[in-house]
Amino acid sequence: MADKQLACMTCEPKGLCGGRGLLTLKEGAWANNPLAIQILGICSALAVTNRLENSLVMGAALIFVCVGSNLLVSLLRKRTPHRIRMIAEVAIIATFVILFDQFLKAFYWDMSKQLGPYVGLIITNCIVMGRAEAFALQNPPVLSIVDGVANGLGYAVVLAIIGFFRELLGTGEIFGYEVLSGQWYTPNQLMILAPGAFFALGIVIGIFNAIKGPVAEEKK
Amino acid sequence: MKGSLYALVYAAVLGAVCALLLTAAAGVTAPYRQANAEAEETLNILMVLNVPLEADISAKQLGEVFKNNLREAERGGITTYLYSSPEAQGRIQAIALRFSGPGLWGPIKGFLALEQDMKTIRGITFYEQEETPGLGGEIVTEGFRKRFVGKTIHDKDNNVGIVICKPGSAKEQNEIDGITGATMTCDKVQAMLNEAIKSIVEEKQ
Amino acid sequence: MMSETSAWVIFIAAIFTNNILLTNFLGMCSFIACSGQIRTSLGLGTAVTFVMIMTTILNYVIYHFVLVPLGLVHLQFIVFIAVIAAFVQLVEMFVERFSPRLYFALGIFLPLITVNCAILGASLFMIIREYSFIQSIGFGLGAGIGWAVAIVLLAGLRQKMRYSNIPEPFQGVPIAMVVTGVLAMAFMGFAGMVSIQ
Repeated sequence: MADKQLACMTCEPKGLCGGRGLLTLKEGAWANNPLAIQILGICSALAVTNRLENSLVMGAALIFVCVGSNLLVSLLRKRTPHRIRMIAEVAIIATFVILFDQFLKAFYWDMSKQLGPYVGLIITNCIVMGRAEAFALQNPPVLSIVDGVANGLGYAVVLAIIGFFRELLGTGEIFGYEVLSGQWYTPNQLMILAPGAFFALGIVIGIFNAIKGPVAEEKK
Repeated sequence: MKGSLYALVYAAVLGAVCALLLTAAAGVTAPYRQANAEAEETLNILMVLNVPLEADISAKQLGEVFKNNLREAERGGITTYLYSSPEAQGRIQAIALRFSGPGLWGPIKGFLALEQDMKTIRGITFYEQEETPGLGGEIVTEGFRKRFVGKTIHDKDNNVGIVICKPGSAKEQNEIDGITGATMTCDKVQAMLNEAIKSIVEEKQ
Repeated sequence: MMSETSAWVIFIAAIFTNNILLTNFLGMCSFIACSGQIRTSLGLGTAVTFVMIMTTILNYVIYHFVLVPLGLVHLQFIVFIAVIAAFVQLVEMFVERFSPRLYFALGIFLPLITVNCAILGASLFMIIREYSFIQSIGFGLGAGIGWAVAIVLLAGLRQKMRYSNIPEPFQGVPIAMVVTGVLAMAFMGFAGMVSIQ
């Protein structure tokens, strides 16, 4: 694994990703994190993070859709007429979303009911659309896959963090198992309602900025 | 012109491929989705009747428990589920009936279970609702549903109907404490429960 | 017979107690990016309301008279978003011709209305909640106005915040989120306001 990474970094043009794989991965997951830095895909970050389990499934959904749509858009990028490219992107994204939704309903019914319409709303998730338009349209397929994974992962991790704290503080549980004993902790129900979501997201982004901030200063 | 024609063909082909793929996926998953929906309903009926169930029971086992313990019967135009475990030897222990109606935000559906005297409430479950989370949405919580257990479906003077009243003011045998801030949802739940109750009571007479 | 929730009640509730942005979190992206100026926010809010009410009606008709009878319900997402995209394209052409100033002010945000989760969300909620035609109109209108109200309120709040001393990591989006949370709490207080008859 380490050798492969090194090969990426030494700009080996024969490498699968044209040498930009690792950079793309780091960009998508950290430096240009879709949720915390680009501030995209917020709707779902607020809606499904009331429980950690929901956050993880939504993260998985986004990785699946982003990788799928990035791959397909990239494969078709030389044949897609410029004028209808947005409609084509939406159609491709919608197809992957619906596929995920159907299989969720078939094999993870309870979760489908928990997530409700928010799986379908991945179609309008700015992250997926943004990556298709800004990256997949100009880059080769394998690199596009890496970008999809990176952005999806970056999103999933932030979602998991928010979900973790909201469920913990809002119900005292993680994955439905009691962690903060009801004997001394009164669950703060506000955390699992709307205002709690906004607070949690704001604080997480703020902390993210605080961590990143000094690093950016150093680079200057 | 040629560019437009190409765009049109492209769009048509893409559209067709997507539609085909999705229809195929829908077809493949349909039996599983159907089974899930049925299993959920079966689970709700069994739960509301307090039929003893193992933890982590599978959909197939649910179906078996249902077959062994429950019988369907029409009453007053509604389907009711009569619970009679094998040990009871034919004696009916409880009855479950479905109720549904418009909530504040969307349809509310659930099951109401009555003891064999057809007067005392054994339990209630909600399996579909779109009410405001934290307010009307609280009807699915155990705390609210427990308030129904032991209450009767008619008052002292034998008038049929339950009343969901202001929290803390439930006194009579057919009154149940509502949820603060969710008056409308409670009103609608009351209305749809009474409609279902009236249907089966009237049939008996 | 049971009384249905009137379209009027749904309309009022969609603005206050079940605000599509403050309760259902839909439409956040343009909310964040665009809510710097009250005037732009008002323009965007109006455009979104218009698109929302029209597409909700269109999607209702298409769902109940085309998709359901033909058994094509699993294509609803694609069909809805296609309708929305086409409609936004129409609106864009309309605005460009009749109000070049608004067109210029909205810039990139006008085509981005297509991917505004609130608009697709409104159609999806209408189906999930099994609204009738009249109820859908009330809901589409209320949701749009509710979204517009929230975005204008936040624009005003952000303007005020420019003169506050905010720690650097929290400037911009983070503090906007926290403030929106407080706004959401305030709107929760409307809960007892809506009653039938």
